[in-house]
Amino acid sequence: MPELPRRARVSLAVQLALGRLLAPLWVPLSAALMRCAMGWRVEDVKRTRAEYRRIRGASREPLLICANHLTMVDSALVAWALGSPGWYLLHPAALPWNLPDRENFASSWWARALVYVMKCLPIPRGGDRGEVSSVLARLGWLLRRGEAALVFPEGGRSRSGRVEQDSRTYGVGRILGALPGCRVLCVYLRGERQESWSRLPVRGDRFRARLALLEPKSTDSGLRRSLDLSRQVLVRLAALEEEHFRDRG
Amino acid sequence: MQESEVFQRVVKIISPFAKNQAALASVGPNTHILDELKVNSARLVDVVLAFEDEFGIEIADEDVDEVNTVGDAVRLIRSKVA
Repeated sequence: MPELPRRARVSLAVQLALGRLLAPLWVPLSAALMRCAMGWRVEDVKRTRAEYRRIRGASREPLLICANHLTMVDSALVAWALGSPGWYLLHPAALPWNLPDRENFASSWWARALVYVMKCLPIPRGGDRGEVSSVLARLGWLLRRGEAALVFPEGGRSRSGRVEQDSRTYGVGRILGALPGCRVLCVYLRGERQESWSRLPVRGDRFRARLALLEPKSTDSGLRRSLDLSRQVLVRLAALEEEHFRDRG
Repeated sequence: MQESEVFQRVVKIISPFAKNQAALASVGPNTHILDELKVNSARLVDVVLAFEDEFGIEIADEDVDEVNTVGDAVRLIRSKVA
Protein backbone atom coordinates (compact mmCIF):
# COMPACT_ATOMS: atom_id res chain seq x y z
CA MET A 1 0.00 0.00 0.00
CA PRO A 2 1.54 3.36 -0.97
CA GLU A 3 2.65 5.86 1.67
CA LEU A 4 -0.07 8.41 2.29
CA PRO A 5 0.93 11.89 1.04
CA ARG A 6 0.81 14.76 3.54
CA ARG A 7 -2.05 16.41 1.66
CA ALA A 8 -4.19 13.28 2.05
CA ARG A 9 -3.35 13.03 5.75
CA VAL A 10 -4.39 16.64 6.36
CA SER A 11 -7.57 16.12 4.35
CA LEU A 12 -8.47 13.08 6.45
CA ALA A 13 -7.73 14.92 9.70
CA VAL A 14 -10.13 17.70 8.62
CA GLN A 15 -12.82 15.15 7.68
CA LEU A 16 -12.32 13.41 11.01
CA ALA A 17 -12.68 16.69 12.95
CA LEU A 18 -15.78 17.79 11.02
CA GLY A 19 -17.42 14.40 11.44
CA ARG A 20 -16.84 14.50 15.19
CA LEU A 21 -18.10 18.08 15.43
CA LEU A 22 -21.36 17.18 13.70
CA ALA A 23 -21.71 13.71 15.27
CA PRO A 24 -24.20 14.91 17.95
CA LEU A 25 -26.56 15.64 15.05
CA TRP A 26 -26.15 12.76 12.63
CA VAL A 27 -25.39 9.85 14.96
CA PRO A 28 -28.60 10.04 17.10
CA LEU A 29 -30.63 10.97 14.00
CA SER A 30 -29.43 7.88 12.11
CA ALA A 31 -30.25 5.63 15.07
CA ALA A 32 -33.68 7.27 15.47
CA LEU A 33 -34.46 6.70 11.80
CA MET A 34 -33.65 3.02 12.11
CA ARG A 35 -35.44 2.50 15.42
CA CYS A 36 -38.46 4.81 15.15
CA ALA A 37 -39.11 5.37 11.46
CA MET A 38 -38.23 1.85 10.28
CA GLY A 39 -39.08 0.00 13.49
CA TRP A 40 -35.93 -2.12 13.35
CA ARG A 41 -34.61 -3.88 16.45
CA VAL A 42 -31.42 -5.79 17.19
CA GLU A 43 -31.97 -8.78 19.47
CA ASP A 44 -29.78 -9.02 22.54
CA VAL A 45 -28.17 -5.73 21.58
CA LYS A 46 -26.63 -5.15 25.02
CA ARG A 47 -24.61 -8.36 24.79
CA THR A 48 -23.43 -7.52 21.26
CA ARG A 49 -22.36 -4.02 22.27
CA ALA A 50 -20.58 -5.29 25.39
CA GLU A 51 -18.66 -7.78 23.25
CA TYR A 52 -17.58 -5.05 20.84
CA ARG A 53 -16.44 -2.86 23.74
CA ARG A 54 -14.46 -5.78 25.17
CA ILE A 55 -12.80 -6.60 21.85
CA ARG A 56 -11.88 -2.98 21.16
CA GLY A 57 -10.49 -2.55 24.65
CA ALA A 58 -8.49 -5.79 24.59
CA SER A 59 -5.75 -4.57 22.24
CA ARG A 60 -4.33 -1.43 20.69
CA GLU A 61 -3.76 -3.17 17.35
CA PRO A 62 -5.90 -1.98 14.42
CA LEU A 63 -9.39 -3.48 14.22
CA LEU A 64 -11.07 -4.05 10.87
CA ILE A 65 -14.75 -4.99 10.98
CA CYS A 66 -15.82 -7.34 8.17
CA ALA A 67 -19.51 -8.01 7.70
CA ASN A 68 -21.85 -9.90 5.42
CA HIS A 69 -23.71 -7.72 2.95
CA LEU A 70 -27.39 -7.99 2.04
CA THR A 71 -28.86 -4.47 2.03
CA MET A 72 -27.75 -0.93 1.24
CA VAL A 73 -27.96 0.14 4.89
CA ASP A 74 -25.87 -2.68 6.35
CA SER A 75 -23.08 -0.37 7.42
CA ALA A 76 -25.49 1.73 9.50
CA LEU A 77 -27.14 -1.40 10.93
CA VAL A 78 -23.83 -2.97 11.92
CA ALA A 79 -22.63 0.26 13.55
CA TRP A 80 -25.93 0.53 15.45
CA ALA A 81 -25.69 -3.10 16.60
CA LEU A 82 -22.15 -2.54 17.89
CA GLY A 83 -22.72 0.66 19.86
CA SER A 84 -25.35 3.08 21.12
CA PRO A 85 -25.38 6.69 19.85
CA GLY A 86 -24.38 7.95 23.31
CA TRP A 87 -21.41 5.58 23.53
CA TYR A 88 -20.22 6.58 20.07
CA LEU A 89 -20.32 10.26 21.04
CA LEU A 90 -18.02 9.43 23.96
CA HIS A 91 -15.86 7.03 21.89
CA PRO A 92 -15.93 8.49 18.38
CA ALA A 93 -13.04 6.34 17.09
CA ALA A 94 -15.16 3.23 17.72
CA LEU A 95 -17.76 4.35 15.16
CA PRO A 96 -16.59 2.61 11.99
CA TRP A 97 -15.51 4.28 8.78
CA ASN A 98 -17.15 2.96 5.64
CA LEU A 99 -16.25 2.55 1.98
CA PRO A 100 -19.55 3.13 0.14
CA ASP A 101 -19.83 2.69 -3.59
CA ARG A 102 -19.21 6.12 -5.12
CA GLU A 103 -21.86 5.60 -7.78
CA ASN A 104 -24.63 4.73 -5.30
CA PHE A 105 -23.75 6.98 -2.39
CA ALA A 106 -21.79 9.96 -3.68
CA SER A 107 -23.26 10.82 -7.05
CA SER A 108 -24.59 14.30 -6.09
CA TRP A 109 -23.03 17.17 -4.13
CA TRP A 110 -25.41 16.76 -1.18
CA ALA A 111 -24.80 13.00 -1.01
CA ARG A 112 -21.05 13.63 -1.11
CA ALA A 113 -21.38 16.18 1.72
CA LEU A 114 -23.46 13.78 3.77
CA VAL A 115 -21.13 10.81 3.44
CA TYR A 116 -18.16 13.12 4.04
CA VAL A 117 -19.29 13.97 7.58
CA MET A 118 -20.55 10.43 8.19
CA LYS A 119 -17.08 8.87 8.18
CA CYS A 120 -17.18 7.55 4.64
CA LEU A 121 -14.53 7.22 1.95
CA PRO A 122 -16.45 6.63 -1.30
CA ILE A 123 -14.75 4.07 -3.50
CA PRO A 124 -15.13 3.51 -7.25
CA ARG A 125 -16.13 -0.17 -7.38
CA GLY A 126 -14.57 -1.85 -10.36
CA GLY A 127 -13.11 1.47 -11.41
CA ASP A 128 -9.66 2.95 -11.70
CA ARG A 129 -7.26 0.71 -9.73
CA GLY A 130 -5.14 3.70 -8.74
CA GLU A 131 -8.12 5.41 -7.12
CA VAL A 132 -9.08 2.22 -5.29
CA SER A 133 -5.53 1.91 -4.05
CA SER A 134 -5.59 5.51 -2.80
CA VAL A 135 -8.81 4.91 -0.82
CA LEU A 136 -7.38 1.72 0.72
CA ALA A 137 -4.23 3.61 1.71
CA ARG A 138 -6.33 6.24 3.48
CA LEU A 139 -8.30 3.54 5.26
CA GLY A 140 -5.05 1.92 6.40
CA TRP A 141 -3.85 5.24 7.81
CA LEU A 142 -7.09 5.63 9.78
CA LEU A 143 -6.89 2.08 11.14
CA ARG A 144 -3.33 2.69 12.32
CA ARG A 145 -4.60 5.74 14.23
CA GLY A 146 -7.06 3.58 16.18
CA GLU A 147 -10.14 4.34 14.09
CA ALA A 148 -12.49 1.43 13.47
CA ALA A 149 -13.46 0.64 9.89
CA LEU A 150 -16.12 -1.56 8.34
CA VAL A 151 -15.79 -3.28 4.99
CA PHE A 152 -17.76 -5.92 3.13
CA PRO A 153 -15.33 -8.60 1.95
CA GLU A 154 -17.76 -9.96 -0.64
CA GLY A 155 -17.36 -6.64 -2.49
CA GLY A 156 -21.10 -6.11 -2.91
CA ARG A 157 -24.49 -7.35 -1.77
CA SER A 158 -24.70 -11.11 -1.99
CA ARG A 159 -26.93 -12.04 -4.91
CA SER A 160 -27.44 -15.53 -3.50
CA GLY A 161 -28.51 -14.21 -0.10
CA ARG A 162 -25.70 -16.24 1.51
CA VAL A 163 -22.06 -15.42 2.18
CA GLU A 164 -20.29 -15.90 -1.13
CA GLN A 165 -17.07 -17.65 -0.19
CA ASP A 166 -15.98 -17.88 -3.80
CA SER A 167 -15.91 -14.10 -4.22
CA ARG A 168 -12.65 -13.11 -5.97
CA THR A 169 -12.32 -9.75 -4.25
CA TYR A 170 -9.07 -9.19 -2.41
CA GLY A 171 -9.39 -5.65 -1.02
CA VAL A 172 -9.75 -6.91 2.55
CA GLY A 173 -6.68 -9.09 2.20
CA ARG A 174 -4.78 -6.17 0.80
CA ILE A 175 -5.65 -3.99 3.81
CA LEU A 176 -4.72 -6.81 6.20
CA GLY A 177 -1.46 -7.52 4.40
CA ALA A 178 -0.44 -3.89 4.79
CA LEU A 179 -1.30 -3.78 8.50
CA PRO A 180 0.67 -6.40 10.42
CA GLY A 181 -1.15 -7.39 13.62
CA CYS A 182 -4.48 -6.09 12.39
CA ARG A 183 -7.38 -7.92 13.98
CA VAL A 184 -10.59 -8.71 12.13
CA LEU A 185 -13.96 -8.57 13.80
CA CYS A 186 -16.29 -10.69 11.68
CA VAL A 187 -19.92 -9.60 12.05
CA TYR A 188 -22.82 -11.59 10.70
CA LEU A 189 -26.02 -9.54 10.84
CA ARG A 190 -29.31 -10.60 9.35
CA GLY A 191 -32.97 -9.70 9.77
CA GLU A 192 -35.46 -12.45 10.52
CA ARG A 193 -37.40 -11.55 7.38
CA GLN A 194 -34.35 -11.03 5.17
CA GLU A 195 -34.71 -13.87 2.68
CA SER A 196 -32.21 -12.61 0.12
CA TRP A 197 -30.51 -9.35 -0.88
CA SER A 198 -32.55 -6.14 -1.12
CA ARG A 199 -32.30 -2.38 -1.07
CA LEU A 200 -33.62 -2.08 2.51
CA PRO A 201 -34.66 -4.54 5.21
CA VAL A 202 -38.43 -4.73 5.67
CA ARG A 203 -40.04 -2.35 8.14
CA GLY A 204 -40.18 -3.75 11.67
CA ASP A 205 -37.57 -6.46 11.03
CA ARG A 206 -35.60 -7.89 13.97
CA PHE A 207 -31.90 -8.50 13.51
CA ARG A 208 -29.54 -11.00 15.07
CA ALA A 209 -25.82 -10.29 15.22
CA ARG A 210 -22.98 -12.75 15.66
CA LEU A 211 -19.38 -11.66 16.26
CA ALA A 212 -16.09 -13.52 15.94
CA LEU A 213 -12.54 -12.26 16.27
CA LEU A 214 -10.00 -13.41 13.73
CA GLU A 215 -6.30 -12.80 13.17
CA PRO A 216 -5.72 -14.08 9.64
CA LYS A 217 -2.23 -15.17 8.64
CA SER A 218 -0.87 -16.36 5.33
CA THR A 219 2.36 -17.92 4.15
CA ASP A 220 1.66 -16.84 0.55
CA SER A 221 2.99 -13.64 -0.96
CA GLY A 222 1.85 -10.99 -3.41
CA LEU A 223 -1.65 -11.13 -4.78
CA ARG A 224 -2.16 -14.73 -3.61
CA ARG A 225 -1.54 -13.61 -0.03
CA SER A 226 -4.28 -10.97 -0.29
CA LEU A 227 -6.65 -13.54 -1.75
CA ASP A 228 -5.82 -16.04 0.99
CA LEU A 229 -6.41 -13.48 3.77
CA SER A 230 -9.72 -12.43 2.19
CA ARG A 231 -10.76 -16.06 1.87
CA GLN A 232 -10.10 -16.72 5.57
CA VAL A 233 -12.42 -13.83 6.49
CA LEU A 234 -15.14 -15.10 4.13
CA VAL A 235 -14.86 -18.63 5.52
CA ARG A 236 -15.33 -17.28 9.06
CA LEU A 237 -18.34 -15.23 7.99
CA ALA A 238 -19.83 -18.31 6.32
CA ALA A 239 -19.34 -20.27 9.56
CA LEU A 240 -21.18 -17.52 11.48
CA GLU A 241 -23.96 -17.76 8.90
CA GLU A 242 -24.23 -21.52 9.51
CA GLU A 243 -24.55 -20.85 13.25
CA HIS A 244 -27.19 -18.21 12.54
CA PHE A 245 -29.41 -20.58 10.57
CA ARG A 246 -28.78 -23.50 12.91
CA ASP A 247 -29.94 -21.45 15.90
CA ARG A 248 -32.93 -20.10 14.02
CA GLY A 249 -34.03 -23.66 13.39
CA MET B 1 11.55 -12.27 -24.02
CA GLN B 2 10.34 -10.35 -27.08
CA GLU B 3 7.57 -7.79 -26.56
CA SER B 4 5.49 -9.30 -29.37
CA GLU B 5 5.67 -12.77 -27.82
CA VAL B 6 4.57 -11.47 -24.41
CA PHE B 7 1.79 -9.47 -26.08
CA GLN B 8 0.42 -12.55 -27.87
CA ARG B 9 0.50 -14.67 -24.72
CA VAL B 10 -1.19 -11.87 -22.72
CA VAL B 11 -3.99 -11.55 -25.28
CA LYS B 12 -4.46 -15.33 -25.25
CA ILE B 13 -4.84 -15.26 -21.45
CA ILE B 14 -7.27 -12.32 -21.49
CA SER B 15 -9.43 -13.69 -24.34
CA PRO B 16 -11.67 -16.04 -22.31
CA PHE B 17 -12.43 -13.20 -19.86
CA ALA B 18 -13.22 -10.55 -22.52
CA LYS B 19 -16.93 -9.92 -23.07
CA ASN B 20 -16.35 -7.58 -26.00
CA GLN B 21 -15.16 -9.91 -28.75
CA ALA B 22 -15.23 -7.07 -31.32
CA ALA B 23 -12.64 -5.11 -29.31
CA LEU B 24 -10.64 -8.30 -28.91
CA ALA B 25 -10.41 -8.67 -32.68
CA SER B 26 -8.61 -5.32 -32.95
CA VAL B 27 -6.72 -5.47 -29.68
CA GLY B 28 -3.57 -3.36 -29.35
CA PRO B 29 -1.24 -2.16 -26.60
CA ASN B 30 -3.54 0.78 -25.82
CA THR B 31 -6.70 -1.33 -25.48
CA HIS B 32 -8.18 -0.85 -22.00
CA ILE B 33 -8.76 -4.22 -20.33
CA LEU B 34 -11.79 -3.24 -18.23
CA ASP B 35 -13.36 -0.44 -20.30
CA GLU B 36 -12.85 -1.77 -23.83
CA LEU B 37 -12.44 -5.52 -23.54
CA LYS B 38 -15.12 -5.49 -20.80
CA VAL B 39 -13.30 -7.87 -18.52
CA ASN B 40 -15.25 -7.99 -15.24
CA SER B 41 -13.21 -6.16 -12.59
CA ALA B 42 -13.78 -9.07 -10.18
CA ARG B 43 -12.19 -11.41 -12.73
CA LEU B 44 -9.12 -9.20 -13.19
CA VAL B 45 -7.56 -11.04 -10.28
CA ASP B 46 -7.91 -14.33 -12.18
CA VAL B 47 -6.28 -12.74 -15.21
CA VAL B 48 -3.34 -11.57 -13.11
CA LEU B 49 -2.97 -15.00 -11.45
CA ALA B 50 -2.94 -16.54 -14.93
CA PHE B 51 -0.10 -14.12 -15.87
CA GLU B 52 1.81 -15.35 -12.80
CA ASP B 53 1.38 -19.00 -13.77
CA GLU B 54 2.10 -18.47 -17.46
CA PHE B 55 5.30 -16.45 -16.99
CA GLY B 56 6.48 -17.85 -13.63
CA ILE B 57 6.47 -14.46 -11.94
CA GLU B 58 4.96 -12.92 -8.81
CA ILE B 59 2.83 -9.82 -9.05
CA ALA B 60 2.23 -7.60 -6.03
CA ASP B 61 -1.10 -5.92 -5.21
CA GLU B 62 0.39 -2.54 -6.03
CA ASP B 63 1.49 -3.76 -9.44
CA VAL B 64 -2.09 -4.68 -10.31
CA ASP B 65 -3.05 -1.01 -9.89
CA GLU B 66 -0.77 -0.14 -12.79
CA VAL B 67 -2.42 -2.57 -15.19
CA ASN B 68 -5.06 -0.68 -17.15
CA THR B 69 -4.24 -1.53 -20.77
CA VAL B 70 -2.87 -4.61 -22.50
CA GLY B 71 0.37 -2.68 -23.00
CA ASP B 72 0.59 -2.04 -19.25
CA ALA B 73 0.34 -5.78 -18.64
CA VAL B 74 3.03 -6.50 -21.22
CA ARG B 75 5.39 -3.91 -19.67
CA LEU B 76 4.81 -5.23 -16.16
CA ILE B 77 5.41 -8.84 -17.19
CA ARG B 78 8.56 -7.97 -19.14
CA SER B 79 9.92 -6.07 -16.12
CA LYS B 80 9.34 -9.12 -13.92
CA VAL B 81 10.68 -11.66 -16.40
CA ALA B 82 13.85 -9.66 -17.08
